[in-house]
Amino acid sequence: MSVVALILLFSMLLGIWRVLKGPALLDRLLTIQLFGSTGVAILLVLSKVFALPALLDVALLLAILAAAAPAALVQRLRQQKQRSRQRTSL
Amino acid sequence: MALLLFDLVLCALLLLLAGAAMLSRSLTQAVTLFIAFGVMMALAWARLKAPDLALAEAAIGAGLTGALCFTALVRYAKQPAYPQPALWRPLTFIGLVTALLLASLSQIPLQPSSAIPALVQQHLPQSGVSHPVTAVLLNFRAWDTLLELLVLLLALLGARQAPGDLPRYRGWSLSISWSRLLSPLLLLVSGYLLWRGAAAPGGAFQAGALLASGLVILRLNQQLSWLSWRHFWVRMLVLGGLLAFVLAGAVSLLLQDLGAVWLSWPQSIAGAVILIVESFATLAIAVTLTLLVVGEPKPEVADA
Repeated sequence: MSVVALILLFSMLLGIWRVLKGPALLDRLLTIQLFGSTGVAILLVLSKVFALPALLDVALLLAILAAAAPAALVQRLRQQKQRSRQRTSL
Repeated sequence: MALLLFDLVLCALLLLLAGAAMLSRSLTQAVTLFIAFGVMMALAWARLKAPDLALAEAAIGAGLTGALCFTALVRYAKQPAYPQPALWRPLTFIGLVTALLLASLSQIPLQPSSAIPALVQQHLPQSGVSHPVTAVLLNFRAWDTLLELLVLLLALLGARQAPGDLPRYRGWSLSISWSRLLSPLLLLVSGYLLWRGAAAPGGAFQAGALLASGLVILRLNQQLSWLSWRHFWVRMLVLGGLLAFVLAGAVSLLLQDLGAVWLSWPQSIAGAVILIVESFATLAIAVTLTLLVVGEPKPEVADA
């Protein structure tokens, strides 16, 4: 069972390349989303391995909150967009 | 074997993300790396079989901190150009903090004392709840939790002294409708966590943090403009956690015999008292964190 968790973690290790290198903000954001969903999968596996049903709640929380970061990031993207528009109109 | 390898990879990932977040040149990059770090940290707590901490870390690290850092970034008119401080200053600071941390490390006993968990287990039936962590937080060491609520309130009052002007951008219609879909789910799950806290990992803090993430998402999409410090009842909600706590302490002091300890609940109503205190604390934590993260609603910036 724990081999499955290990394989999932390795898939995160591959994703780290995109987080570190980017190049765009959206690449990084999508990798964080990938981390979130892989994290959910790992938590589900771990809850089986350790026989800890409470980890299912953590997985639920992580799945829902994966949506929180993009909501804030949209503000940042909008700001960048508006600023670049101001720059072109000047 | 596989678990050992899992631990090694997880530690490597944590160190890599932490180092990259600190050394990153752009603040936006650092924030995204930090959010990824929060997800990994939640996994690490889950690996250490500490679901209470994993819940808190998932709610704070993966949810709120990212929103907080991004809104802070939006507040800057442009990327701040830091004046380069002399090198010895940060080095002294880092050295000092590291020394303090190492010194405190020696205070931690290598083997956790077995007496305290046994003591908690022994008194668990009198606490009114069946989850030991909740029993410690809301009954045996309720004073600590009360002071934590006070710290949160002080943080909000302190942050209010530094008014920021967060420019508002009208949310894209997709993100608005999506946040509306998400909010009932968040409400449901935070109520579930609050209720679960009596018997399993969960409780006021996790539920409050989750609720706060939902409120922050809605506020970032220009909803809930009524959630403002101007309104009397919002202030009452923020104070409500502390008020309910102190009132419950006073009432249970009156109900008990002379010589009863402050903030110890009478055994017969302990469960109900804990639930009431936790409910008010959840609302207070949620509203306080939301106001801390997104501040006051401002007229939005028009952009097509």
